[in-house]
Amino acid sequence: MIGALVITGFLGSGKTTLLRHLLGQREFSRTAVIINEFGEVGLDHELVEASADSFIELTTGCLCCKVRSDLVATIEELLKRRDRNEVPPFTRIVIETSGLADPAPILQTLIAEPGIAGRIALAGVVTTVDGVNGASTLDREYISVKQVALADRLVLTKSDLAGAAAPPLLNRLAELNAAAPVAFAHHGKVDPRVFEGDALDARARPVDIDSWLVGAAGSHAHLHERHDTEIQTCATVREEPIRAVALTLFLETLAEHCGGGLLRLKGIVNIAECPDRPAVVHGVQHVFHPPAWLARWPSEDRRSRIVCITRRIPRRWIELLLDALDIEVTSVSDRR
Amino acid sequence: MKDKLKAITCELLAQSLLAWDLTGRVQSENDDAITVACHATRIRIEPAPAGLPFRWIVTINGRKRGAISLVAVLRQIRTALDPGYTASRVRIAPLPAPPA
Repeated sequence: MIGALVITGFLGSGKTTLLRHLLGQREFSRTAVIINEFGEVGLDHELVEASADSFIELTTGCLCCKVRSDLVATIEELLKRRDRNEVPPFTRIVIETSGLADPAPILQTLIAEPGIAGRIALAGVVTTVDGVNGASTLDREYISVKQVALADRLVLTKSDLAGAAAPPLLNRLAELNAAAPVAFAHHGKVDPRVFEGDALDARARPVDIDSWLVGAAGSHAHLHERHDTEIQTCATVREEPIRAVALTLFLETLAEHCGGGLLRLKGIVNIAECPDRPAVVHGVQHVFHPPAWLARWPSEDRRSRIVCITRRIPRRWIELLLDALDIEVTSVSDRR
Repeated sequence: MKDKLKAITCELLAQSLLAWDLTGRVQSENDDAITVACHATRIRIEPAPAGLPFRWIVTINGRKRGAISLVAVLRQIRTALDPGYTASRVRIAPLPAPPA
C-alpha cells in the first residue's frame, strides 16, 4: 500500500516552501509529488526541485472541483508508469492542493475511489497555517477554517518572524482541531521526523490513531466540545462495548443526515462481538473508509472513542444517536 | 429498557429537529407513543405490535407506515418535515468479521 500525504493550507501559507524542504530530506526520498495549481499558468511546480528518485506531476484547475477525474487519472497513470518502471519506484505520494481547495473531496477520493483505493492509503492531512497572518485568514476565509479542521497535523509557518505563533492563534487552532499536533516551521524548515506516523508509516497502519485521539484521550468519560464559528470537534467516549450493527447504523445515519456537515469522523471502537480487537472507522463527509480491524489495542485504554468534526450539527444529537441505536439493537438482540 | 429507549428517543427527536433547522415540539405521551408537532404536520411514533416485521409504527397526518429501526423513523420524519431533504440511498457496509 502506498501512502498519500495531502498538504493543504490557504494561499500564501507556505505549502510549497514546506514541500520544497521536505523533498530535500532523506526521509522523503522516493516520493511522487502531485501539485495542483489553480490557473492556466502554474508556477508552484517551478519552485520545487525534486531529487533524482522523486518527481513531480502537475494538475491545473481546482483540484477539489475536478477531483473525481483529474486526481484519479493522475494517480492511476502514476501507478501504471511505476509498474512499467517508467518512473522511480516511489513509496509515497504527496499531494499539494491549491490554496483555495476544499480538502474534503480529495480525501473522499483517496478513501473511496475504486480505481486507486486498493493501492493508495490516505496517510494524513498536513495543513500549513501562516504564523503571522493566520488569524486574520481564519477570520476572513471559511475554507481556511475547514482546511485546519480537517488536518491530522498543523504546521505553523514563518515561526521565525516577529509576532508569529502568537498565543491567540495557537488557541484558535486548538479550538478548531484539538487532535492535530502543531509543528513549527522556521525559515521554511521543519523536522521531517514530525511526519512519522503520517506518510512515513502509512503502510504499517491504516490510520494514525495516536495523533487524532489526543483530543479525546483525556480522563473525561463524556463529551468534549471545541468550537469556532460553526465548527465543532466532538469526542464521544463509551466505556461499554458497542454492537457492530449499532455502529453500522450510527455511521449510516450520520452520512445520511449530516452530509457536508460532517467534515470528518475518526474512531476506535470496542465492538461487543470482538472485544479483543478494536475496529477503526474513518470518514469524510458522507464517504466512509471500510472499517478495519487492528491486530490489538494500542494501549490499555479499551474505551470506544469517536471523534467527529462537524459544522452546525448539535453535539448532543450525535451522542443521543449512538446511545439510542445501541439501546435499540441491544433490546432486539436480547429478545432473540 | 423500554422506558429508557422511549426517553432517549424522545430527546433524540427533539435534537433532530434542531439539527435539521426545524421548529417543533416533541412530547412523550402517557402511552408508549411519542408525538412530534411541526407546523401543520402531526406525527406519532409508537412501538409496533408483536408479530409485525417492524419495530415502530410512524403515523404522519393519519397515514400509518412501518419502520424497521430508529434510522427509518428518522428518515420518515425528516422526509415529512423538511422539504429540502432528499432521502439518501447511502448505505454503510457492515463491519466485516475480523480476520482469524
